Amino acid sequence: MSIESNYDSIDSEESIKSINIIKNYPKEKRYTLAILQDIQKEFNYIPRDIMVSISEYLNLPLSDIYSIATFYKSLSLKPKGKYIIKVCNGTACHIRGSNKLIEEISEMLEILPGETTEDGLFSIEIVNCLGACALAPVMVINGKYYGDMNKEKVKAVIDEYKGAI
Amino acid sequence: MKIKIDGNYYEGNLGETLLELAIRNNIDIPNLCHKSGLIGQGRCRLCMVEVTEGTKTKIVSSCVFPIKNGIEVSTSTENIIKIRKDIIMLLLLRTPNNEYIKSLAEEYNVVPPTRFVDVNSKENCILCGLCVKACESMGTNAISLVNRGTTKAVSTPYDDASKDCIGCGACADVCPTNNIKLVDKNNERNIWNKKFNLVPCSRCGKYYTTEQAINYVNKKLNTNEEPLCDSCKRKIIGEKFKESCQNIY
Amino acid sequence: MNDKCDNKKKILVCCGTGCIANNSIEIYNKLNERLKNSDISVEPIIKATGCNGLCEKGPVVKIMPDDISYFKVSTNDVDEIIEKTIKNDITIDRLLYFDTNKKEKIKSHRDATFYKPQHKIALRNIGEIDPLIIEDYLEQDGYKALHKALFQMSPTEVIYEVEASHLRGRGGAGFPTGLKWRTCSKYDQYPKYIVCNGDEGDPGAFMDRSIMEGDPNTVIEGMIICGYAIESHKGFLYIRDEYELARKNMEIAIESARIHGYLGTNILNSGFDFDLEIVRGGGAFVCGESSALMASIEGNIGEPRAKYIRSVEKGLWNQPTVLNNVETWANIPPIILNGSSWFKEIGVEHNTGTKVFSLVGKVKNTGLVEVPMGTKLNTLVFEIGGGIIKDRPFKAVQTGGPSGGCIPKEHLDISLDFDSLNNIGSMMGSGGVIVMDDTTCMVELARYYMEFLSEESCGKCTTCREGINTMLKILTYITEGKGEIDDIDLLIQLGETITEASLCGLGKTSPNPVITSIKYFKDEYIDHIINKKCSAGVCKNLTSYSIEESICIGCGLCKRKCPVDAIIGSKKNPHVIDIKKCIKCGSCYSVCPTGAVIIGGAII
Repeated sequence: MSIESNYDSIDSEESIKSINIIKNYPKEKRYTLAILQDIQKEFNYIPRDIMVSISEYLNLPLSDIYSIATFYKSLSLKPKGKYIIKVCNGTACHIRGSNKLIEEISEMLEILPGETTEDGLFSIEIVNCLGACALAPVMVINGKYYGDMNKEKVKAVIDEYKGAI
Repeated sequence: MKIKIDGNYYEGNLGETLLELAIRNNIDIPNLCHKSGLIGQGRCRLCMVEVTEGTKTKIVSSCVFPIKNGIEVSTSTENIIKIRKDIIMLLLLRTPNNEYIKSLAEEYNVVPPTRFVDVNSKENCILCGLCVKACESMGTNAISLVNRGTTKAVSTPYDDASKDCIGCGACADVCPTNNIKLVDKNNERNIWNKKFNLVPCSRCGKYYTTEQAINYVNKKLNTNEEPLCDSCKRKIIGEKFKESCQNIY
Repeated sequence: MNDKCDNKKKILVCCGTGCIANNSIEIYNKLNERLKNSDISVEPIIKATGCNGLCEKGPVVKIMPDDISYFKVSTNDVDEIIEKTIKNDITIDRLLYFDTNKKEKIKSHRDATFYKPQHKIALRNIGEIDPLIIEDYLEQDGYKALHKALFQMSPTEVIYEVEASHLRGRGGAGFPTGLKWRTCSKYDQYPKYIVCNGDEGDPGAFMDRSIMEGDPNTVIEGMIICGYAIESHKGFLYIRDEYELARKNMEIAIESARIHGYLGTNILNSGFDFDLEIVRGGGAFVCGESSALMASIEGNIGEPRAKYIRSVEKGLWNQPTVLNNVETWANIPPIILNGSSWFKEIGVEHNTGTKVFSLVGKVKNTGLVEVPMGTKLNTLVFEIGGGIIKDRPFKAVQTGGPSGGCIPKEHLDISLDFDSLNNIGSMMGSGGVIVMDDTTCMVELARYYMEFLSEESCGKCTTCREGINTMLKILTYITEGKGEIDDIDLLIQLGETITEASLCGLGKTSPNPVITSIKYFKDEYIDHIINKKCSAGVCKNLTSYSIEESICIGCGLCKRKCPVDAIIGSKKNPHVIDIKKCIKCGSCYSVCPTGAVIIGGAII
C-alpha cells in the first residue's frame, strides 16, 4: 500500500539542501526541534517529504516529529509568504491598539492572520510579545522592526515591500 | 509503608502511586486517563485528592503522586467533590454529546450552564491521551498528540493513513469513553483513515485481527504462530490445563 | 585605569532592539565612517552597546567621559555631534533629554528622574559596554567572581554565599536560589545540569532579552559559578526563538569565553570543566515553565509534568538540574564578588537586592528600570515613569503578565516585592509592569489574557485547557453585551478549580488576571452586564459616542478625523455624530481638545 504518495514532492535540489541541513546534527532526539527550525528557515515551512526524512534520519516515529511540528508556533506545515509580517499582540501593544493594526493590515492584504496572500508574497502572523514594548504597537517584517505603527505608516511600509519586487 | 486513606490504613509499596494503591484496595477515585500497566499521565485531573503531610495539606493528582510514609489522604472532601464536578462540567462542555461523560455528569449531578453548551458539537475526544500511550507501548507510534492549547487533538501525521498503523485496535480498547472509530465490516477493518484486510481465526474462523498486526507481533517476538482469536486462545489454554491435570491424576 | 584612555572620548551608541528599530545601526555606521575620514587628533572609540532602558526615547547616544546623553538621535545629527560635541565640547541642547518631572533639559542621563532612583546590579554593564567584546566585560570586573570562586572558595562556600544573600529567583515565583543549589548539590547522581531559562514569554517583559543582548557574559559567568558549586559540567541556555539578537550575542560571547579559557576543559587551570550549549526555543509560552522547558530541550513537545519530584532531583534527562532565569544568573557574579552582606543591604527583608521591571503601557517613560526591592509602585509609575501619557487618570497596573493580576489605585503605595504582590492577588512574575489608564477596559483585558492563554496552554490538562477556554467564552459574551449577572460567580468558581487542580504553575496562575479584575473592578463587570456599557469605550457593542453640545467649540477636528464621515456640523457650531454611520473607532474621542465627545453605553 502506498501511503505517503499523494502529496507534492520537493525537487531534487531542495532534497539535497534539506539533507545537508539535517546532516549538520548528530542523530539524537534532542536535535529534532533545531533541525525543524533550520528547515523552516530555509523553506518557509516543513515540507512533508522532509519531515519523513527527518524521522528516518533520527530513527524516530513520524508521529513524534509531526507532534513537535504542530506544537511549536515557529514551525508551519503550510508555506509562508516571502515577507512575514509579525504583528505583536503583547499586552503593551494590545492596549495601544494592536488589534486595530491587525485589522487594518488584514484589510490591506485581503488575508486573515495566519494566511498567505495568493501571490505568496505576504503572510500575517499575530505573535506574542516581541519585547519591544516601548515602541508599541510593533510589527516585524523578516526581522526588521517597525515601531509606533498606525494605518498610514503600515501602508507605506507594505507599499515599500511591494515596490521592492 | 503505611498510608492513611479516608481514615483507614493501607500498606503501600515503594514506587507506587497513590491511585495504584487506592485501586489495589478498591477505594474509589474517579479517573479517566489512567490504565494499569501504563505510566500515569496527570491529564484528566479527575483523580485529585487531598494529601496532608505534617501540617501541610495540598491537592494532588493521585495518578502521578508517589506515595510517601506518613501521609494522610482524603478522597472526598467537599472541596474535592467541587473540583470533580467542575472537571466533569468542563469535559461535558467540550464533548456535550459524549455518552460516557453524559452519564458521569448525571452520576455527579452536574448541570452545565446551557448558554455555553454547543448542542451540535461533534467533538467526542476528551484528550486523555490513553490511545497514544497504548500505541506507544505497542511500539507502533502511529498516532500522537498534535497541536496545542484548545486545538490539541489526537491524530496520525497529516490525518492520513499512517504506514506505522497495524490496525491492532489497542487504541480503541483503552479509550475510556469508547470513541475511537474502529469499524469491522465485510472482513475489512477501518481505523484512523486506513483500511485493513481482516484475518480469520484458524480455529473458529472468525475474522478478528489484521494481517499487519499478526505479522508485527510475529516479527517482534520472532515467532510464527497460527492466528488465534482471544476466545480460542483462552479455550486452548483451558484445554491444555485440563490435559495436564489429567496426566497428574 | 590608564590615563590615555580617560582623555579619549568614547561614543556609546545603543544597539538594543528598541534603538535598532529606530535605525541606531545606521547612526553607528555613519559615526564610524565620518570619524575615519575626519582630522581629529585623538580619534574617539565608538561602541555599540546594549539597551539603555529608555527605549521610547531612542536611539540613545552617550558621550564619555563628558557624560552627555543624547536621545532620539537621527543620522542627520551625526555631523553636528562630531563637529560640536566631539571636536569642540559643545553640548547640543536639542538632543538632550527633557525631564517631564523636573521640566528641564538634562545633560547626563544619570540625573534624569527616569534613571536617578535606579540601582543597577543585573543591568550594571548594559549600555556601558560592547557586549561582543569580552575585554569590555573584563574591564568592568568581569570574571573576577569566577576567579574568586574557583581559587578562594570551596563549592560549599559558594552555595553558602548565595544562600546568605537571600537571592530569590527572578523568573516568577521567587524561590530561594541558594536553597535550590544546596538541594541539588546533595544528590550524588551525575551528570548534573545547569539550565538558563531565557524563554521570556510574559507579554510586556523584556529584561531577559536586554541582559542576553547587552551583557551576555554575566549570564555565562553566573552559570559557570553554579556549575562549580554543584559539580555540574554542562549547561544549556534555552533562548526564545524570536530573540535573534540575544542568541547571536550569546553565541559570540560563549565562543570568546572559550577562547579566553573561561569555558571548556580545565577552566583557568583550576581543573574544573564546564561548557555551555544554546537551545533555540520553538515559540511556546508554556516552555517558560521549567519542566516544559526541559521537555523541550530533550526533544519533546513542551508539556509540563507533575513536580512531586523536583527538578533539582530529577530534571533534565531525569538528572539533578538547577534552572534559573536570566536575571537571576546576572545577579550571581556581583554577589560572589561583593559578598552576601553587600547584597542583603539592598532591598527589604526576605526580598533582597534589586528587581528589573519593564515599565510599559500608558506611561510617559517606557523602558527597563532596575530598582531596589521594596520600591513603591507609586515611585515606579509616577516618578520614574513620569506619570500617565497625556496626564489621563491612572486606572491600574498589571504585574506578572498572564500569571499575575491587576493592581488598582488603592494599592499604589504597595511595596514591589514578591510577598507584598502575592498578598494582593498579583505576583512579581518576571517583572512586567503594564500601566493602564481610563481607556483600558478591564473586562476586555481579562478576555485578552484568556485568549492568549487559550492559545498558549499546552493543552495537556483538562482544567487549564477547557477551563481557560470556558472562561474565555464567558468573557467574550460579557464584552459582546451577552453577559448575565451569574457569569461573574461562574468565573470565580472556575477560577478556583483551575488554580487548585491544574498540573503546572502556569495553569494554576492562569485565572489571576480574571480573578483580580473581578476583585478590584467588579463595577466594570456589572456595567457591562447590567447597564450594557463599556466606559473605557473599548467594547464596541457596548459603546456609543455623542457630542456634548455645551462643551463643543465647533473646531471641526473630529469631523476631519472621522474615517466614515459620521460627524456633521459647521465651523464654530456644535457638531453631531450620526450613530447609524458611526463605527465606534474612537478617533473623535481621542482628538477632541475640549472633552466634548462623551462615551455612552449600547444604544438599544
